[in-house]
Amino acid sequence: MIRALVVVPALWGGLVLAQPHAAPAGAPAGAASSAPADGMTLLRRIYQATEKLSYTGTFVYQQGDRAETSRILRQAGPKGGVERVEVLDGAPREIVRTRDTVRCYLPDSHVVRVERRGTQHAFPALLPERLSELEQSYTITRGDSTRIAGYDCDSVVLAPKDDLRYGYKLWSDRKSGMLLKARTFNRKGETVEQFVFTQLSIGSVPRRQVEARPRAGNWRIEDAAVAPADLAGEGWTVGAALPGFHKVTEVTRRLGASHPVGQVVYSDGIAAVSVFIEPLAGRAHTVRPGLSTLGAFNIYTRRVADHVVTVVGETPAASVQRIGNTVEYRRPQ
Amino acid sequence: MRSEISALMDGELDRQEAAGPLEALRGEGEAREAWRAYHLIGDVMGDTRLLSAGFAARVAVRLSAEPTVIAPRAAAAPARRLRWAALSAAASVAAVALVAWMAFSPQGGVAPQQVAVQMAAPAPLAEAEPARVPPPETATEYLLAHQSYSPLNSLQGMAPYVRTVSSEEEARKQ
Repeated sequence: MIRALVVVPALWGGLVLAQPHAAPAGAPAGAASSAPADGMTLLRRIYQATEKLSYTGTFVYQQGDRAETSRILRQAGPKGGVERVEVLDGAPREIVRTRDTVRCYLPDSHVVRVERRGTQHAFPALLPERLSELEQSYTITRGDSTRIAGYDCDSVVLAPKDDLRYGYKLWSDRKSGMLLKARTFNRKGETVEQFVFTQLSIGSVPRRQVEARPRAGNWRIEDAAVAPADLAGEGWTVGAALPGFHKVTEVTRRLGASHPVGQVVYSDGIAAVSVFIEPLAGRAHTVRPGLSTLGAFNIYTRRVADHVVTVVGETPAASVQRIGNTVEYRRPQ
Repeated sequence: MRSEISALMDGELDRQEAAGPLEALRGEGEAREAWRAYHLIGDVMGDTRLLSAGFAARVAVRLSAEPTVIAPRAAAAPARRLRWAALSAAASVAAVALVAWMAFSPQGGVAPQQVAVQMAAPAPLAEAEPARVPPPETATEYLLAHQSYSPLNSLQGMAPYVRTVSSEEEARKQ
C-alpha cells in the first residue's frame, strides 16, 4: 500500500522518459564484406577481445567538465594476464591487476590498497552466456560506424528500458573487436562519463613494462581481506527491489584501516550497485545521511540499527536510493 | 523503556525523569521505534475518518506538482531546512493519508510493527528527494571496493578503475 504511494512519482518520471535513445539504425550497408554484425554480436566480440588481446594505449576519461589522460598496458596470458593503468594527469596514481589481485598505488598518501582473493572468488566476469540477460533491461541495437584513433569502429547501443540504469554506447574496432570508446548516458541522452582511446597499439607488451615499478620509501599496505559472508544470518535483509538486478556476491572486507565491513553487490549484467554495512561504533568520520554524487557514481547513506548503510552505484540516484531504503535489521533469534 | 516513552509522550515525566528516555531516543533502537509506533497509533485513533475516495492519489498529484527547491550543494544544511519547511505542509497531509489508508484498508490488520518499520525512515519523501550531502570521507575506498565487482571490467578492462582514483581529488574538493 505504501509502495503504491511511493511509486507514483517514479512512474511519471518513467513516462517522461519515453524512448529518446533509439539508435541511429542502419550502419553504412555494404561497407563490410557480409551483412553487418548485430548489436549482440558486437557485444560478444568486445567481451572476447577484452579477454584475449594484449595492447598498449592512451585513453582520456571525461566526466562533467573534467578530462584526465591515462596510459594502459595489458599483457594477455593463460592466467588472465596482467594489466596496468597509470593516470598521467595530476598525482601519478597507478593500478595493477592480475587475475586475483588488484593493487592501487596512491603516492599522495603513500598507500597501496590491495584487493586479493582466492581463485574460487576470482573477480566475477560478465560471462558470455549471460550477455543475453542484458536484453531484459536494455534494448540492444547496432549504432553508427566511425573512425576512432585510426581504427574503423562499429558501435552498439544499450538503451535502458527504465530509469533505474544508464544507457551505454560502445565503439569497437571492426577487425579485432577491441573497445575504443565507451559513453554512458542518462535518460535525457546527456553524457554521464566517457572513455576514448586517443592512441592504441594492439600486440604483445614486454612483461616488465606491465608490472608496477619498484618504489622507494615506506608504503602502507591496506589489505581488503575479502572473505565470504552471510549477512542474512546476522539479521540483515537487503531487498532486491530493483527490476533486473540480481545478487552477485556477498562478502566481508576492510575499507582502508577500518573494521570489517559487509558488502553485497547487485548487478543487471552491466551496471552494479554495492551495499556496504558497517557498525556505527568506532567510526572516525561523521555520518551524513543523504545522497551524494561523485563523478558517475551516486552514493546514498542511511543509518539503520546503529549501523551505517552506504549504497554505491554507477547508476542513477533512484537506484541506489531504492536499494538503500530496503535495508532492514532484525536481531537473529 | 516502552512505558517510559509512553509516559514521556503523555507529559508525565519531569525534566530529570525525561533525561533517560530522551537519551534513548537519540539512537535507532527500541525507544525510537516505540516513539513512532505510539505516535502513529495516536494519529490513527485521532479524527481522520472523513477522507473521500482517491484522497491519497490526489495528495500524490499535489505533491508532485509542488515546485522543487533547488539548493546549491555548498549550503547543504540550511538549504535542507528550507526545503523541508516548504514540503512540510504537503508532507503532513501525506502522512495523514497514509495512516488513514492503513487504518481503513480492507485487510484492516496491518500490524503496528510493520507500520512502524515503514515509517521508520521518512521513506516516501526521502525516495522522492533525499538530502544532498557531501560524499563520505572514505568515498574512494567504497568506489574501489565496488569497482572490482563491476561487470564493466569485462567490457572495458582496467579503464573504469581510473574513475575510482580520479575521484579522490574531487572528493577532497567537495
